[in-house]
Amino acid sequence: MTDISRRELFARGAAAGVAASAMTLPGSAAFAHETTAGGAAVGAPSSGPGLSGVWGEDFLYQWSAPDDLVRDLTPGTSSIRLSGQTTPRFSNAEGTDYATYFSNLKAGGWSAVESASNTWLSRGKMPESEIRAIKDAAAANDVVFYGLHCAGNIIAPDPDADRWQRHMIASIEAAEEMGCELILTHAGSMYANRNWAHPRNWSREAWERSVNALKRICRDTAGSNVKIAIEAVNSESVNNPWAHVRLREDVGDARITVGLDITNMVFPSVAFRMSEFINTTFDLLEDQIAYVHGKDFVWNEMLPGMNWAMQGTGNMDYEMFLARLSRLKTNPYMLIEFLNEPEEYALAQRNVRAIAQGIGVTIHGTQG
Amino acid sequence: MLRHFILAAGLLLAPVAAFAQDLNGTWVRDGARSDVVPDSMYWTVRGVVTGGTRTATSNHVIEIRQDASTMQVTDPARPLRVYPLDGQPHTVPADTGVVDATIIASVQGDAVVVQRSQTYSGLPGSATLATTEYWTVAPDGGSLVLTTIRETPARRVTYNEVYTRQAPAPAR
Repeated sequence: MTDISRRELFARGAAAGVAASAMTLPGSAAFAHETTAGGAAVGAPSSGPGLSGVWGEDFLYQWSAPDDLVRDLTPGTSSIRLSGQTTPRFSNAEGTDYATYFSNLKAGGWSAVESASNTWLSRGKMPESEIRAIKDAAAANDVVFYGLHCAGNIIAPDPDADRWQRHMIASIEAAEEMGCELILTHAGSMYANRNWAHPRNWSREAWERSVNALKRICRDTAGSNVKIAIEAVNSESVNNPWAHVRLREDVGDARITVGLDITNMVFPSVAFRMSEFINTTFDLLEDQIAYVHGKDFVWNEMLPGMNWAMQGTGNMDYEMFLARLSRLKTNPYMLIEFLNEPEEYALAQRNVRAIAQGIGVTIHGTQG
Repeated sequence: MLRHFILAAGLLLAPVAAFAQDLNGTWVRDGARSDVVPDSMYWTVRGVVTGGTRTATSNHVIEIRQDASTMQVTDPARPLRVYPLDGQPHTVPADTGVVDATIIASVQGDAVVVQRSQTYSGLPGSATLATTEYWTVAPDGGSLVLTTIRETPARRVTYNEVYTRQAPAPAR
């Protein structure tokens, strides 16, 4: 992890000026070129609004990548396990034929899986024999059941916040029981619907609600090894890699990790500088990344209207993304998500595998 | 005698054959006889339809200038295309100007065939998109069929579009 201190980040952010602050990323110097979209970011001083100077920094937002961008696509030795939001989603619904389910996953090239917490918890106490059956079926097919993807909003208007915090605590207990490595949750929104951007989601009050909610979840599950992976979402306070770092510091628990979703952090300033953004994000977070989401996007509207795109066809620099993933110390899980049709997941997987193969990155298993 | 005539005619027509059929002119897309063609710039998902989609009612006019060595296509939906019809690979900037594309164009039988390869997004790091276009004029010279094959690691899709030759404006 690159050592970019918070004090340094905020000092640089402040230097960019009040008017610029709306579009300035803290730590914008991390984007500075001599452009190293492959190694550690170079710490040249930030000279204007937004990202580091490329051209015309005194009057233009630096939204275009530098011409001399060099990408280090050296593959690492870690093998990526793909997971997908395929249909039917994995659950513990009564009557599930786990052996067949996991066998189908393996046949489809998926070597990892997660489940939605709402459905999982709604089942209540599961028989030991069924828990064993799930673990056996996963092992027999070389599929890792790594986590519970949590619904809910831990800072929702009261009294819902408490309900959702208890939901996370129950999810951690369920994950522990199943041998999962993590649960995924979010910083939350001041609106009940977490996907709606509340005007005060970036206020001190909202931040403290998130921090306190996570402290409580950590405290009430003390002793557990299950990681609490936080997924950034643009409509919430944690919507950039620096906020991930700060959240972990403020909660003060090493179990607060990152469910890295790069596309959920995209805004105009980085939409066409994804090689650098991906690289900087990994520099900052790499030892905190519990798993990642694989999505893609395009900016195809007049307003900063980003839309989801088929993986490997949009602005995401998947080569950079996969290379950095393969250089993590542990074998990462990548969830292919946000597609509608079942067959689209197979298409996305083909793109991701082809891009990985092109740069020498290993994806676990084979796609039928 | 007839054999000699055919041979002579063949020699006379040789330069014409070198650029296949005459694609010169202004062509109007016939939406009723064409496939719906999704926006070639984006592969959006989750039901998003982008503005570049060509539908049955799209008003789309292109202009082609062709000679023995090049074909030039003016299409309002994309930058000017100039294809050297030499069958050799040429490196040109992608429309984004960020990465390069490789093009190979040639006359093959009745068709002008244009192959193009680049990253899908025209940005670094995305999947490779290989397109092959077959430009063919009907025997009466009045309609043009453009068959486009778009191939990514994920899938291969083919679209057919029919264009009608726009009559020249009457002389005043």
